[in-house]
Amino acid sequence: MNNKVVAMLLAGGQGSRLKSLTYTIAKPALPFGGKYRIIDFPLSNCTNSGIDTVGVLTQYQPHVLHSYIGLGTPWDLDRHNGGVTMLPPYAEIDGIKWYAGTASAIYQNITFLQTCEPEYVLILSGDHIYKMDYELLIDYHKEHEADVTISVLEVPWEEASRFGVIHVDNKMEVKEFDEKPEKPKSNLASMGVYVFNWKKLKAYLESDNISEESSHDFGKDILPAMLENGEKMVAYPFKGYWKDVGTVESLWEANMDLLDLNSGLNLHDPDWRIYSSNPQLPPQVINETGTVEGSMVNEGCVISGEVLKSIIFQNVTIEEDTSISESVIMGGVIVKKGAKLHRVIVPPGLEVPERFEIRNQQDKVILLTQEKLDEWKERDHK
Amino acid sequence: MNLLAVVDASVKKEGLQDLTMRRTASSVPFAGRYRLIDFTLSNLVNSDVSTVGIFPSYPLASLLDHIGVGKSWDLDRRKNGLYFLPVTQRDGGLSSVGAFAALEEHIQFFTKSNQPHVVVTNSFVVTQLDFRDMLKQHIDSGADITEAVSKGVSLKNYILSKELLIELIQTHQDKKVVSVEDVVNLKKSPHTFNEYEYEGYFAVIDSVQSYFEASLDLLDEENRGKLFLPDRPIYTKVKDEPPTRYINGSKVRRALIANGSTVMGEVIDSTISRGVYIKKDARIEKCIIMQKSIVEENCDLKYVIADKEVYIGKGVVLHGTAEQPIVLRKGETVTKEDLR
Repeated sequence: MNNKVVAMLLAGGQGSRLKSLTYTIAKPALPFGGKYRIIDFPLSNCTNSGIDTVGVLTQYQPHVLHSYIGLGTPWDLDRHNGGVTMLPPYAEIDGIKWYAGTASAIYQNITFLQTCEPEYVLILSGDHIYKMDYELLIDYHKEHEADVTISVLEVPWEEASRFGVIHVDNKMEVKEFDEKPEKPKSNLASMGVYVFNWKKLKAYLESDNISEESSHDFGKDILPAMLENGEKMVAYPFKGYWKDVGTVESLWEANMDLLDLNSGLNLHDPDWRIYSSNPQLPPQVINETGTVEGSMVNEGCVISGEVLKSIIFQNVTIEEDTSISESVIMGGVIVKKGAKLHRVIVPPGLEVPERFEIRNQQDKVILLTQEKLDEWKERDHK
Repeated sequence: MNLLAVVDASVKKEGLQDLTMRRTASSVPFAGRYRLIDFTLSNLVNSDVSTVGIFPSYPLASLLDHIGVGKSWDLDRRKNGLYFLPVTQRDGGLSSVGAFAALEEHIQFFTKSNQPHVVVTNSFVVTQLDFRDMLKQHIDSGADITEAVSKGVSLKNYILSKELLIELIQTHQDKKVVSVEDVVNLKKSPHTFNEYEYEGYFAVIDSVQSYFEASLDLLDEENRGKLFLPDRPIYTKVKDEPPTRYINGSKVRRALIANGSTVMGEVIDSTISRGVYIKKDARIEKCIIMQKSIVEENCDLKYVIADKEVYIGKGVVLHGTAEQPIVLRKGETVTKEDLR
């Protein structure tokens, strides 16, 4: 028996609640943490867990992702055997088949999976920030002789209804699976990370595909069907930092978590590096007039103003007499003299004009846009 | 591009000894995230030179590890690209650039290539030389050998025809000359010489003193602007370091800092390499701290060069001077007890 694991990384999501940040890129391509894109986390987890065959399923705005991942070199996934394969929807004789749901995305790549000849298939989501050793999950799956293992996390009760909620017995066997229930019976949430025995999964995908009522989704269709048929489904309790950055607020929170040494999300861990593409930029410079405290700053930045509790991406210029606090400033942004930003996310490439200030009601997180800058200029700052 | 490059990475500089115990001058760290040779290789690729022979001296490991197959410089090519050409003589390496004995061992590098001109360059003079421009001026001048100079200082970069270089290599023993630099300096030869005046940034790194000065000069915006040109990037081996974090209470003023570092203390007028730790209440002024060094709490350092992986224990006070910075060698540990 072979032990081969193939990871299928679902990276086609739009992330519509992230507004203008995901108009032109898929959610997994979203910049995070001063240097990374969200997809760096699951890809690096694969590399660090010894998984060397990864299919990346794209659909919504795939161009940035395709060019970013390329041959997979930054994650050591440019291999002769296996490596990374980009899997966008494709056309067949009878037309283009878009991915209708998470399960149909995998179903439509059965041919790819067949050529890999896996024993296990690991389903991952490209829009979560976490560090996880998938090898431990797979070992657990084997030990429990399960047909499918779902990685779960304890979440606060009040948030449980946002997730697929899982009910287990004392052997961690799953008894019930409720996708986003109104009244959750448990606070064990599915992380969208599953290990399947490939043969079993293949059979369920095939029957799901011909079912007319199905929405072709793992959480809504495949897992309930398996449970109904009495397949062995176990839950793997994951402990550690995990975040689904679905909204502007949660994206901001996850960035701020990097600045908290006790948040559990440590990027400065040489034993579990998060790999990313590395542009060739000079070191960062803090000038005579600059101050930086409680922040993270990437290469190519020139800081001449005040930066407090903020994440500063590559190639950002912060001019004199500026004040930046609790903000996320993405790549290539220029913050002109006298500008003040508090709790603001500035998307890549914007130029924040001189003396710009945004009135921030009740400390809400504000996503800056070109339109907002234009409005500000129009209003009273010609 | 009809130019072939010889990077002489074997040149020995006595004054740099403290920094070159386990590496050649070419792999001395510079400007936070680079090695000296990066500037030479980047100039070559930014000038469209795609056939590059590196002539190293021993110990090789540090340089070989850094260069690899040349991927960072886009020199891992099917055709041409990077050639690593070490010599058999372990004590090789002269103090002048373009040693004929080394070039002779790899004469095939020249005879098998089809570029008509050769640039002989080094890795201890940091410049932003454009070799296309230099070659054009060399051809227009009609001279046999062109030397790059700036403000009366030789940059030890030479262009000559491949034919002449091969002839010099084959006859150097009879002519009692040891290197291309030697030939140029003698001037008592049948050859004609030309100077190429270069106006950009340059720094000759041939002593700890000049290394220290050149490093701190980069804190000056004007100098930095001349060395880091957006359309001529400096390439180096990439590392997967996270952005540098500045912890609450950090104070930083006039500093050049690479990724992957953690700053808790005070950093003034200094350059910090990748993966460095400056702990709480430590104070660093006019210092160069290299990769993965740790400066513990309450240290007070002034005019100190700490090489890679140096450990400076709690409360250590070290003050050098601008003329004589204190050098801590690679891997060294300094504690308060050591200084008693």
